[in-house]
Amino acid sequence: MEALFFNVSSGFLEGIVRGYKAGILTQNQYSNLTQCETLDDFRMQLSATDYGNFLANEPSPLSTSTISDKATQILVDQFNFIRSNAVEPLSTFLDYITYAYMIDNVILLITGTLHERDTHELLERCHPLGSFDTMPALCVATNVEELYRTVLVETPLAPYFRDCVTASDLDDLNIEIIRNTVYKAYLEDFDRYCSTLGSTTYDVMHRILAFEADRRTINITINSFGTDLNKEARAKLYPTIGRLFPEGNNNLARADDIEQVRLVCDNIGEYKSFFDTSAPSRNGNGHDDLLGDDGDLSVAAQLEDHFFRMEVHLNKLSFLQQFQYAVFYSYFKLKEQEIRSLTWIAECIAQDARDRIQDFIPIF
Amino acid sequence: MGYATSYFTFGLPSFLIIVIALYLLFTGSGEAFNVGRFLEETSPYAWASVGIGLCIGLSVLGAGWGIFVTGASILGGGVRAPRIRTKNLISIIFCEVVAIYGVIIGIVYSAKLSQVPESQLYTRENYFTGFAIFWGGLTVGACNLLCGICVGVTGSTAALADAADPNLFVKILIVEVFGSILGLFGLITGLLMVGKAGDFAAASPAAVVSPFVHVEL
Amino acid sequence: MSGARENIFPTRMALTNTKLRLKGAQTGHSLLAKKRDALTTRFRAILRKVDEAKRKMGRVMQLASFSLAEVTYATGDISYLVQEQAKTATFRVKARQENVSGVVLPTFEVDRVAGTDFNLTGLGRGGQQVLKSKEVYAKAVETLVELASLQTAFMILDEVIRATNRRVNAIEHVVIPRLENTIKYIMSELDEMDREEFFRLKKVQGKKKRDAQAEDARRAAIAAEADDEEDSAPAFEPPEPTDTNSDLLSSKDADVIF
Repeated sequence: MEALFFNVSSGFLEGIVRGYKAGILTQNQYSNLTQCETLDDFRMQLSATDYGNFLANEPSPLSTSTISDKATQILVDQFNFIRSNAVEPLSTFLDYITYAYMIDNVILLITGTLHERDTHELLERCHPLGSFDTMPALCVATNVEELYRTVLVETPLAPYFRDCVTASDLDDLNIEIIRNTVYKAYLEDFDRYCSTLGSTTYDVMHRILAFEADRRTINITINSFGTDLNKEARAKLYPTIGRLFPEGNNNLARADDIEQVRLVCDNIGEYKSFFDTSAPSRNGNGHDDLLGDDGDLSVAAQLEDHFFRMEVHLNKLSFLQQFQYAVFYSYFKLKEQEIRSLTWIAECIAQDARDRIQDFIPIF
Repeated sequence: MGYATSYFTFGLPSFLIIVIALYLLFTGSGEAFNVGRFLEETSPYAWASVGIGLCIGLSVLGAGWGIFVTGASILGGGVRAPRIRTKNLISIIFCEVVAIYGVIIGIVYSAKLSQVPESQLYTRENYFTGFAIFWGGLTVGACNLLCGICVGVTGSTAALADAADPNLFVKILIVEVFGSILGLFGLITGLLMVGKAGDFAAASPAAVVSPFVHVEL
Repeated sequence: MSGARENIFPTRMALTNTKLRLKGAQTGHSLLAKKRDALTTRFRAILRKVDEAKRKMGRVMQLASFSLAEVTYATGDISYLVQEQAKTATFRVKARQENVSGVVLPTFEVDRVAGTDFNLTGLGRGGQQVLKSKEVYAKAVETLVELASLQTAFMILDEVIRATNRRVNAIEHVVIPRLENTIKYIMSELDEMDREEFFRLKKVQGKKKRDAQAEDARRAAIAAEADDEEDSAPAFEPPEPTDTNSDLLSSKDADVIF
């Protein structure tokens, strides 16, 4: 039934997003980019792609952060174009996408307020996708209690904060715990919202969101080893929509080392390969003697890489279905990944680390 | 929200129907609900005209629906890949063809209509013509509606696929062509259905068929 | 060769003093040379270490900034969060002093506190990268501290070696030749004085001889005039001064030779 009515309100935008998607860099363009000797070459190669002359007005000693900022600006422009053309329910769906960035921004402002910094200068560091009209209002708050009230009143994140965090928590808990608690609530709410958008959208979005949830669960578990985060607190941060839920989540909550995490993930076919250390890793291990890092760290570092690959894979899959909203989500995620890859290549060129330049994640 | 919607969509009409049926039953006029009588009392002209109307109406609905589904995608895809504009007009034409089928059938059916005095209308032949045109029109209309939607959805996919990869256009176009043939099936069937039916013709005065039809002779 | 010499009276006392000073200068020279050699050995070792450390630092710093790039790749910009959450320094540098052949060299030592303030950063994602980056940067700073310590030692040693070298060279090429010159000068002056003295004495002797002959002649004349008086005693006296004179000469001679 989506095919009949989807195009009434969102067909045009879907076409545009798919057009944008066609502009995502291909393997060929990536291999051209990796051949560059300097960042100026890099800029020239980029101008031949869909990015065009977005770096034309930059002064010549080009920094990687400039490239990343400008590319993000393009992404934000595209998003805003789509957002301003969207009608319900796509507009709400797009709003949900921004909530993830909004959480980061609000957390950043909370951090600033907790340490009694001038939060106005923080506004520039906020992610532009997550900015909202009333964000400057958050800067007025001077203490935590006031800030909490402002967050509740002024931001769309109010339900998440209201349900998960109290004003005193802001003071007591580690900021990362608050961030992950809120993010968990956001993921669950987004999943719930997607289920109202029809089965096609839900099928695709649920797959992506479930993966995102599992990824956070696994990451939180691994990253909390050796820290003062106890197991009960950890279990509270796990989103409940993942494929690991509920059994895997329970097992992960009790896990003590990476081996146990691996056992839990073995139950899910797709996640099994993440821990397969015998697979030829493209991460050059030449530096390990210098670092002397243990095996756990490198497994976990590769894990992140696997997660990114999986995310890209899932997001690519969503383009196989027409007449659903997940393409919007996927496009912006893929674009974000592309910016990360570009920054990575630029960084490798700038730092002359040729052996790692292939470690980006190509999309098409 | 969901429950309320489905209640008003399905519950209310069936409730009303049951109320009316019970009213007729209990007021002693249960036999007013008489399908045979309804069919015989209704003028064959009404059947024929409704059939023609459904035929052209449903066809245009299907074509229009298909065109907007395709059109929205072509417009959106055309923003970043302007080359798809001209090529994908073929999808629009396929949808348009569906409406033309409807028009053709409508014209053919309209030709069957001719002025007949009311007293000489209710003949077996005229009933046949009326019913044939009604059901033929419905067949063609439904066929064209679905065909239009089918071509529209495929056309939209074709447009987006073409925008992403020009090689895919011809392949998806074949799918679309098969879709658009469905409308042709309806057209043929619709023609065959009325092939045996003659024009409305006046009958001899004695030939009143139905006991329910009271014609002042 | 009559270059620089000290401005002193060419006396025997001065000669003794100068000789003593020459000896002192030679001892000092050999001591300083030894010190210089020791320092140079040390210096070379440090130089090698500095070279090594610099190369290592290049690698480590590259690795470190690269790991930061990895963090940015995985989590985005976390700099502000990290800045705000760091409460106490976990990486401290302690300074110590080391004595190398009389030269005080400062050395720096790393003191790491295990506790970390931002170990939950990147909890949701990229935590491993943050952790790795932290480790790598800690190593980089360690290398930096090591390098700083070596570099300071290098600078100080360089300065000291140069000073020592200057001293050695000064002693070798200025002080010792001057003292030698002075000694030569004193000796030549003394010789000259000796020869003058000798000549003077000869002259005096000659004069005395002539006088004695004149006296003798006069006495002979007188004696010839008055031969009858006994004149044995006065004739005995004149040989005595000549005898002492020759004695004096011989002793002088020995001295001159010495």
